[in-house]
Amino acid sequence: MRNRLKGGQQNSAVFKGIGSILASAVFSLMLIGVAHAGNGQPSPWQIGFQEPVTVIARQIESFHDFLMIVITLVTLFVMGLLAYIILKFNEKANPVPSKTTHNTAIEVIWTIVPILILLVICIPSFRLLFAQYTFPKADLVIKATGNQWYWSYEYPDQGGMSFDQLMLRDDDNNPIGGPDGQPRVLAVDNFVVVPVNKNVELLITASDVIHNWTIPAFGVKVDAVPGRVVRAWFNADTIGTYYGQCSELCGKDHAYMPIGVKVMSEADYGTWLAKAKKEYASSEPVGKKSGDTQLAASVNASTNR
Amino acid sequence: MSNSELKHHDYHLIDPSPWPILGAASAFTTAVGAIIWMKSLDDGDGVFGVTGWLPFAIGFTMILVTMFVWWRDVIKEARVDKALTPVVQIHLRYGMIMFIMSEVMFFVAWFWAYFDVALFPGAGVMGFEAREAITGGHWPPMVTETDGGYFKGTFDPWHLPLLNTIILLTSGATVTYAHHALLKDDRKGLIIGLLLTVILGVSFTVFQAIEYMDAPFTFGGHIYGSTFFMATGFHGLHVIIGTIFLAVCLVRAIKGHFTPQQHFGFEAAAWYWHFVDVVWLFLFVAVYVWGAGTPVTH
Amino acid sequence: MSTQAHAADHHDHDHKPGFVKRWLFSTNHKDIGTLYLIFAMVGGTIGGFLSMGIRAELAEPGMQIFSNPHMFNVFSTAHGLIMIFFMIMPSLFGGFGNWFVPLMIGAPDMAFPRLNNVSFWLMPPALTLLIISLFVEGPSGMNGAGVGWTVYPPHSTSGHPGPAVDFAILALHLAGASSILSSINFITTIFNMRTPGMTLHKMPLFVWSMLVTAFLLLLAMPVLAGAITMLLTDRNFGTTFFDPAGGGDPVLFQHLFWFFGHPEVYVIILPGFGIVSQVISTFSKKPVFGYLPMAYAMVAIGAVGFVVWAHHMYTAGLSLDTQAYFLAATMVIAVPTGIKIFSWIATMWGGSVRFPTPMLFAIGFIVLFTLGGVTGVVLANPGIDRAFHDTVYVVAHFHYTMSIGALFTLFSGWYYWFPKMTGYMYNETLGKIHFWMLFIGVNVTFFPQHFSGMAGMARRQADYPDALAGWNMISTIGAWISIAAMAVFFFAMALAFVRKQKAGDNPWGVGATTLEWTVSSPPAFHAFEKLPKVK
Ligand code: HEA
Ligand code: HEA
Ligand code: CUA
Ligand SMILES: [Cu+2]
Repeated sequence: MRNRLKGGQQNSAVFKGIGSILASAVFSLMLIGVAHAGNGQPSPWQIGFQEPVTVIARQIESFHDFLMIVITLVTLFVMGLLAYIILKFNEKANPVPSKTTHNTAIEVIWTIVPILILLVICIPSFRLLFAQYTFPKADLVIKATGNQWYWSYEYPDQGGMSFDQLMLRDDDNNPIGGPDGQPRVLAVDNFVVVPVNKNVELLITASDVIHNWTIPAFGVKVDAVPGRVVRAWFNADTIGTYYGQCSELCGKDHAYMPIGVKVMSEADYGTWLAKAKKEYASSEPVGKKSGDTQLAASVNASTNR
Repeated sequence: MSNSELKHHDYHLIDPSPWPILGAASAFTTAVGAIIWMKSLDDGDGVFGVTGWLPFAIGFTMILVTMFVWWRDVIKEARVDKALTPVVQIHLRYGMIMFIMSEVMFFVAWFWAYFDVALFPGAGVMGFEAREAITGGHWPPMVTETDGGYFKGTFDPWHLPLLNTIILLTSGATVTYAHHALLKDDRKGLIIGLLLTVILGVSFTVFQAIEYMDAPFTFGGHIYGSTFFMATGFHGLHVIIGTIFLAVCLVRAIKGHFTPQQHFGFEAAAWYWHFVDVVWLFLFVAVYVWGAGTPVTH
Repeated sequence: MSTQAHAADHHDHDHKPGFVKRWLFSTNHKDIGTLYLIFAMVGGTIGGFLSMGIRAELAEPGMQIFSNPHMFNVFSTAHGLIMIFFMIMPSLFGGFGNWFVPLMIGAPDMAFPRLNNVSFWLMPPALTLLIISLFVEGPSGMNGAGVGWTVYPPHSTSGHPGPAVDFAILALHLAGASSILSSINFITTIFNMRTPGMTLHKMPLFVWSMLVTAFLLLLAMPVLAGAITMLLTDRNFGTTFFDPAGGGDPVLFQHLFWFFGHPEVYVIILPGFGIVSQVISTFSKKPVFGYLPMAYAMVAIGAVGFVVWAHHMYTAGLSLDTQAYFLAATMVIAVPTGIKIFSWIATMWGGSVRFPTPMLFAIGFIVLFTLGGVTGVVLANPGIDRAFHDTVYVVAHFHYTMSIGALFTLFSGWYYWFPKMTGYMYNETLGKIHFWMLFIGVNVTFFPQHFSGMAGMARRQADYPDALAGWNMISTIGAWISIAAMAVFFFAMALAFVRKQKAGDNPWGVGATTLEWTVSSPPAFHAFEKLPKVK
């Protein structure tokens, strides 16, 4: 009982403490979007998105920057009110409690204002969503199939050229700094290669369990669901190497089925394609199952709208 | 209720009872037994080296025993201790209504599975490529080359299913007749009404069994049979439970347990039966009639 | 019940039955509540231990403590399931619900005391089944179910041929049956056993929260039961509900799961909302501001909670229209939740506020739940969820709402009612140390996960790119701090039982106005033999 009575004053000081810690934490969140780092993969102590390289990913980032401001203000507002209460309405400062339990005006305000905020959020949100689902005319179609625990790709327009993409283990081929000069866990043996500034349409499915194909820098993330073929698209405008990781729990090596995409100039892409056609033409992807050909055939009929 | 002299209220405080923990132990045994049994199918190895259906049967029997002794107590408290004061009877009503609501939500799951495929049998906007290969993009499914022979057609809804619909509707009427008789203290009417209802319930189950044996599709292997048997089978299970419930009421009616004022056990059985009846109507309309397509049997 | 009737004949106020009858055969709401709370402590300890395994593995890139990454999945699956089903639900719903719903509405016990006991006793077998699942085969040659708490097929069907997933499924069946039965019990009790004068609109908000929670469970749990039953038949009887080879669809399971799963997250938080309302009002010495909007906001959260489920599936290949609908619907929930947050603040506004441990947890909850809630609003936008789905940003979101939100309300309620339940006062200083350590611990654990999630770190992965090492190490350090905080908690509780400092009937003074403070601490075996009158 004694402790309790003393508690009042001590706490107000302490609360100022949390207030400021939290405020600085929340502010650091606001910086997100400013602090970009490394191309196509995470970098140490990063606090923002990976550098976006598609229109959609940039739109995601700017929408997120906007949301960040809104939610930071909401959080700070709540924290500010609490701080005020702790200072002004503690037992010491305000020994006689008021008896107010209703105030229609303020209740209406705190119902309407959030509604308005949410409406404001909805506008860019719908715009982004519709942009993601506005499929431009495809310059190139790539089919990605998730398997436990690697990806197989098909370029249906290039004579059905297909290959598998497996993670390179540390010991596979190991110069300093990770396998093949690539980052550990993200390193892959065969890259998906696409030309820069071209509309790439993805057809995504899986052969065994659900996987998920994503490249954060492209703003693309699609579940690869067995039995379904789902469409997605991107148009990368910066040459470089981009990584993603399977993002749907798929078993033991879920952490070890990275996705690697190289965006090349038109010319380099052409060179790669010529070489790849020879190299991959004959090889049947390991994960290829009988049902798949059928899927590929009917794929064009399916739209995702 | 033994401490009723002390009470200053009409609620029913219950003495400590061993049945709940026995029931939980039975449920545990049944669950482990079920897994052992399922893992023994197709020459499986079972679990922990144990195979066969015996553990399940033991657990299930324990559940039945628990239910028996538990409800025996409830009935005794109602009749001997006179514990079912008006307010306690309202408890029971609430309890039964809530229970039936949860059962309704159970059926929502089966209907959801059914409509998921019945409304979207083709690849459509969702890219159901594999499904389209199996169903041919139609509902009811077409017999396709890829369906593995698990589906050869549907039932004629205007044959046994219609008969069963009529049986269930009639049984709804007979149980209502029994209720009216009970309210008028007409014990003979009550017994006849209940007897008819039980007979109708049993015949429903018999016809359902006959129908099942005739099915041109299987539980496994094809989505038609899976959704069909899960929904109708779960309903059938409820018919059996309801029939047993009504049969117990019949026995109690013969023993003279019910009075026009106090007969919640009967009412609960009647509610349950109506619920089973309504679910059937939905099944009949959605699965049998709407989902029939061109019948191939009979 | 003939065998018991004799012994019970001489039953009076303080004559409690012997050990076996009192604890194993119990039909007393307070004893059953106590059983639930003890059970939740066991669950929380196991779940906390598992989370330490997760954090130890993620402390650094590469494999640390598990040789097989599958074991990591098994740990996080069990951690998620245990924390939700065997820690939060049994404590907030089963434990506090049983203890205080009857006391707060002036009822002598629950409506169906025997049913109440079976609800409790189904829980230990359920937990046992889940624990067994850790030690039997899952995927060929590996033990345990590494399927995530969401048990998505086909990973949980063809991916796990061994019995581990069957054990996990049946654990959920039993836990679900327990929840359904106790929901029926709570609804009946609340509708039908209020003491004269206690109208629905006079019920304490904690009771309202339990009422809404009970309805959520009653309507959502059977759908989960249906879904996992289909999973079971797909696994064992060759049905093809979720198997595309037979025309089924894995995404159907996701719909069914989240139709349960989203209401479930409100099951986790609503009882906490109720507790916080009581605590804030008590320590501000003011009645709750806007009582009716507070009650109906919970009803609204519960109702809207049933129509937003697919926001967990934005990347699963839903059509554009579907995503647009779920975006709009999900946003709506922020409005009633905001009403709650602001009404709590208004309750304190103008009050004469005191800050003992329960109040610290309640205030900490308001701040941090808001933080978790607004990241939920971020995730509600499918356009952005495309970036965040299945990254540890989501993990940060839901730990802010659960491991901070719901857990803080649990401790708030625990310290608030501890004197009532035991009759003893806990040590305020230790309570406050516990609060501050846990506050720091969970923030240090989960705040950096926003960053690693944004950077692209996927969840449910035992290993991650080396660049993410920094934030992950910090997270792990936070987890050790939380565990140390829990050690302080258990020490403080043990100390309270050793010291036996009497608490008195109402240790909190004028602000504590609900009926439980009018009876002795601890209350008599049957409180309210005579029904209290409420004006
Ligand atoms: C207690 C549990 C709990 C609670 C209360 C919530 C609350 C909310 N959640 Fe959360 N959620 C989870 C537990 C919870 N969640 C879990 C466990 C998962 C992951 C499951 C898994 O995949 O394993 C998840 C995942 C999850 C997702 C999916 C992410 C993904 O997997 O990609 C989404 C998306 O919409 C979401 C949204 C929301 C929203 C909008 C709320 C809202 O209810 C929040 C409302 C609250 C506020 C907004 C703050 C207070 C309001 C104000 C101060 C008013 C003013 C505010 C504004 C105007 C913005 N949650
Ligand atoms: C209420 C739910 C809850 C709680 C409290 C916690 C608490 C914690 N959780 Fe988590 N967690 C989940 C629910 C919860 N969690 C879920 C649903 C998932 C997803 C699983 C999946 O992917 O399938 C998850 C996943 C998850 C991950 C992600 C794994 C991955 O995807 O890679 C991580 C990683 O850091 C993590 C860490 C922690 C830590 C460090 C804590 C610490 O805060 C723990 C410290 C706290 C305690 C130890 C308190 C314990 C409580 C008691 C002892 C009870 C006392 C009882 C009474 C007073 C009656 N959890
Ligand atoms: Cu493939 Cu995760
Ligand atoms: Cu949700």
